Amino acid sequence: MARFAVRRLAGAAAVLFAVSVLVFVIFNVIPNSDPARQLAGRTANPQLIASITREWGFDDPLPQQYLRMMQNILTGKVISYETEENVDERIVEGIPETFSLALGAAAIWMFFGILFGYLSAVRAGGPLDRGLTVLAVTGISMPVFWLAAILLNYLAYQFELVPAGGYVGITENPLEWAQHLVLPWVTLAIVYVGLYSRVLRSNMLDAMGADYVRTARAKGLSEHRVMTRHVLRNSLIPIVTLFGLDFGALLGGVIVVEGIFNLNGVGQYAYESLINLDLPPIMAITLFGAFFIVLFNALVDVVYAFLDPRVKLGSSAR
Amino acid sequence: MESRSPWYLAYRRLRRNRVALAFGALFVAIALFALAAPLWASHVAHTTPNATHTTETVEVDGETREVVDREGGPIGPLWLGAGGRFFLGADGHLGRDEMVRLMYGGRTSLFVGITAALITVLLATLLGLLSGYYRGWVDGLIARVLDVVWAFPVTLLGAALGLALALGGLRIGPIVISGDSVWVPILIIGFVYAPYVTRPVRGEVLALREQEFVEAAVSQGAGPLRIMFGELLPNVISTLIVFFAISVANSMLLESMLSFLGVGVQPPNTSWGTMIAEGFELITSSPLLTVLPGAMLLLTVLSVNVFADGLRDALDPRAKRRLEVHAGQTEPEGTAA
Amino acid sequence: MSADRQGGEPLLRVDDLRVAFATEGEPVQAVDGVSFELAAGEVLAIVGESGSGKSVTAQTLVGLTRSPNAHIGGSVRLGGEELIGAGESELRRVRGERVGMVFQDPMSSFNPVYRIGAQVVEAIRAHRPQASRADARERAVELLGSVGLPDPERQVDRYPFELSGGMRQRAMIAMALMLEPEILIADEPTTALDVTIQAQILELLRRLNRERGLATILITHDFGVVAEMADRVLVMHEGRIVERGDLDRVFYSPQDPYTRRLLDAVVRLDREPPLRPSRGEPPLLEVSGLVKHFPVKHGLLVDREVDRVRAVDGVSFSVARGETLGLVGESGCGKSTLSRTVLQLLEPTSGSVRFDGREIAGLSRRRMRPLRAQMQMVFQDPYASLNPRKRIGQIVGEPLRIQGVASGRELRGRVRRLLERVGLSAAHYQRYPHEFSGGQRQRIGIARALALEPKLVIADEPVSALDVSIRTQILDLLSELQDEFGLTYVFVAHDIGVVRHVSDRIAVMHGGRIIEQGPADRICEQPSDPYTKQLLAAVPVPDPREARARRASSAR
Repeated sequence: MARFAVRRLAGAAAVLFAVSVLVFVIFNVIPNSDPARQLAGRTANPQLIASITREWGFDDPLPQQYLRMMQNILTGKVISYETEENVDERIVEGIPETFSLALGAAAIWMFFGILFGYLSAVRAGGPLDRGLTVLAVTGISMPVFWLAAILLNYLAYQFELVPAGGYVGITENPLEWAQHLVLPWVTLAIVYVGLYSRVLRSNMLDAMGADYVRTARAKGLSEHRVMTRHVLRNSLIPIVTLFGLDFGALLGGVIVVEGIFNLNGVGQYAYESLINLDLPPIMAITLFGAFFIVLFNALVDVVYAFLDPRVKLGSSAR
Repeated sequence: MESRSPWYLAYRRLRRNRVALAFGALFVAIALFALAAPLWASHVAHTTPNATHTTETVEVDGETREVVDREGGPIGPLWLGAGGRFFLGADGHLGRDEMVRLMYGGRTSLFVGITAALITVLLATLLGLLSGYYRGWVDGLIARVLDVVWAFPVTLLGAALGLALALGGLRIGPIVISGDSVWVPILIIGFVYAPYVTRPVRGEVLALREQEFVEAAVSQGAGPLRIMFGELLPNVISTLIVFFAISVANSMLLESMLSFLGVGVQPPNTSWGTMIAEGFELITSSPLLTVLPGAMLLLTVLSVNVFADGLRDALDPRAKRRLEVHAGQTEPEGTAA
Repeated sequence: MSADRQGGEPLLRVDDLRVAFATEGEPVQAVDGVSFELAAGEVLAIVGESGSGKSVTAQTLVGLTRSPNAHIGGSVRLGGEELIGAGESELRRVRGERVGMVFQDPMSSFNPVYRIGAQVVEAIRAHRPQASRADARERAVELLGSVGLPDPERQVDRYPFELSGGMRQRAMIAMALMLEPEILIADEPTTALDVTIQAQILELLRRLNRERGLATILITHDFGVVAEMADRVLVMHEGRIVERGDLDRVFYSPQDPYTRRLLDAVVRLDREPPLRPSRGEPPLLEVSGLVKHFPVKHGLLVDREVDRVRAVDGVSFSVARGETLGLVGESGCGKSTLSRTVLQLLEPTSGSVRFDGREIAGLSRRRMRPLRAQMQMVFQDPYASLNPRKRIGQIVGEPLRIQGVASGRELRGRVRRLLERVGLSAAHYQRYPHEFSGGQRQRIGIARALALEPKLVIADEPVSALDVSIRTQILDLLSELQDEFGLTYVFVAHDIGVVRHVSDRIAVMHGGRIIEQGPADRICEQPSDPYTKQLLAAVPVPDPREARARRASSAR
């Protein structure tokens, strides 16, 4: 088990290195223009461009440019020329908000996704299943940012059911913290509820036709027991790994949700930077986003090995 | 006696699925709607998607009304009141014809979505076949590359690429693509989604490769090309078709998100995503400008997804049949020890 | 042991049982009016080919046929209690407490994520919730020991994949007996096991029947198993019982024509084939010290080879022109790997393969290509050996296309002639594999192998996946073709009866090595190696008297 974990983490480190090179390539190599000018953004003028070129080493050969970029980002020296803030600091500031959003949405989608998926599978073919399937397919077809805008407009502005954006820390006022986050949570969760309920339904239907389920019934177990201890248990394993992957990739989805609901997290920072065509924050956020995913993927693999004894004991047992 | 090819059987199964067919028809209707854009623009609305009418007026039921009033508020839907002009009203203080924009936006969104999906599927097919057939270091290399792309959240990667390329344009060898060409988001989205399709395709190729009919081909002296394209590919096509449909849906969603953020389709091109972004600024006063393009997008993606489900059921009925066979009716005989 | 009829009520009475499945097309009548009785303590064998309805019957007895498309009618009375139409809770009580079931594939029949002990114990706790965990575990350990699992204390905590096939099946039997049911239904319990393990499991079932008076319904397609085990026999065909009676009566004087045909096909495999005169020329195929190892890679960061799977570990044999060499061994002995390595479908690790005087081991793909036309293979799985997306005419003609031997009209003509020669109609040229039965698909595979008129054909388990009655047809076909085309065969199989029927010489394989080889009848009648003896002894003989005699002599 330990050997497996070490291998996984070593592999993750290699991927992270490749990721950082890719970020470098995206921003400094592929585009057909002067990288210093791009970094300067809308405040570009010849002196600024010259000083950027010096600071980032754009006159040096590519490998040195790469090292410079990594050095700048990792030591917290990257500054957005547009807003004149320190990029790394602002990212760190936004983490609590982003986490509040992500964890809350994750809790909602896991709960409802599994619930709906289970009900759909158990009552497969019936009206409940069909209804839930309609909801699920609509969920996965939903443009999240549009939904956020619509909900914000109608539920917050027009009917004033919830506050119209902004963030209140949980330590300040838990009730308001939740109130401000309800709409963002729901918006973010809807797509995943649809997706997870379908995946679970499909896994469970597969499992229900499996031989070991037939054995369980032949032993005289109650239908409920068969469904939970055998069908559900085995069907949840892929859901867990899927969750790990999706949670890691959440940074993408939160960009629009935070932006629209004005939640001051890392996502909002990315949102603003994109709108302002401000490059340095996007570079750093992309790198951190990838770091988070790679870390989570490695974690997921380890958890999966833990859950599935075939992987855990693997080659040692024959 | 005519033979029943697997394709014909799938076609028959699809024909029986009324829901899928209905949504397929809906998609076709939307596509026709989008394709009719130039006709509507020139013959009915007498304008273009980017032409502004800020200071103009229209005749509605004998009354003269401003297209954009003094506070910058646009005129609402006139339906046929002005002979089809401003059918859905004007879009904000620029006073452009919303209906015309909606149709042209659809054209762009559909074009980007479908073309990007094509790129994704072609790339995935090639990589999946190579990876699954050769295995070994080829597979290892491709898997590493996919891992790296996979490490990025899709939106963030798309946005990062979109931002970098929108500013600077793209140069691949002798080909130069300017930053506001519609090909930039197409290529970005096509590449970004490639790993997600390559992985399942590779898995399927790996499984097929172990089957005896592939061994038979090798024993007859078939080379790699004949095996990849003659034996493996025909068995993967049905999966690719379903993935293509799903990719169209996902690509359209990603394009609209990127365009909303300003790093997808660039002006003067219009897509439903850019329209939602523009409408968002006026959402409290003219919500219709946000609702319309989003609703169109939702309907389109929904119809593609439902049709894709129908395709999957038609092409691989085993999944559904599992529901029906619980008591192992006819089992293949005597498995060898 | 003949049934101890206690007189009076049978334990189980089945009356006009019917099961129909609605499908996309016509409804399928899987079970069409089946009636029989089971007396306490007797062993009843239900035998039939695939599609006969025997499995569906067994599962319907305890209400396990749950598809929404199934229509079930008739009556099943267990000691007076009607089971058809009974409520779920009654059926649940019957399952496990009064009727235990054992299925064919113990690997997939156990849940892979729970330990064996947990699954065995689950049965008790579900029926007797007041039983303590410790008691239940103790009983599980005891039962696992009594079915012959060594070291049951440790096995209880193992996962299914950690056990061998035979041990898993023993565990499954133990699990079925946890609540001491009166009836055990075993659905093809040994089909997925090696022949030597099969013998052990059958022995176990016999012992359980004797010691506990456990009435057993044994579902099988193998007449050898029936001859070893049954007191009474039911023969099923297309959903109906076509013959019923005591074991000896059914075997020695069958009344029904279908039964007679089946027994005929089975028994024939025991007879010896006519001897082919040896031609005294240099051998067509000479294999010498052939080795095929698969490296097992493991490591912290970089994969290093830590072990090897020695699939083929130094094999030598030769095959004369026109002869048939039978290669027999159990699963995992390496025979499939050997056949593929000989054909250079796998690259040999070391050793020599001389074909027609020429060394071919390790030849490059390009050099090997023209030679491939002379050595072809017939594969085992009729479903996986034909590309489902191609028409059969295309499949059979492919080798001709690849080798550039023929094209266009000539190619089509040759394919048509091949199809006819193997017993199919040339008019089926445009059909797809899924439109044919298993036996017909094997014929297509044979036609494909012969398209290039090879000298050597390696047949890898060509009839294992087929029904008994079809087997002899395919074997006869292969024999005719051998005479007609002057072919040399290497016939690989795990069933020594089949191998004996077709081979001039036999090589017995075990653990990657050939442990004994020689003329077919000598190997089968006077084996010298202990493993060969064990193998031969384990094969169930489809002759009740002989089976009894063997059991009696081994008891002495």
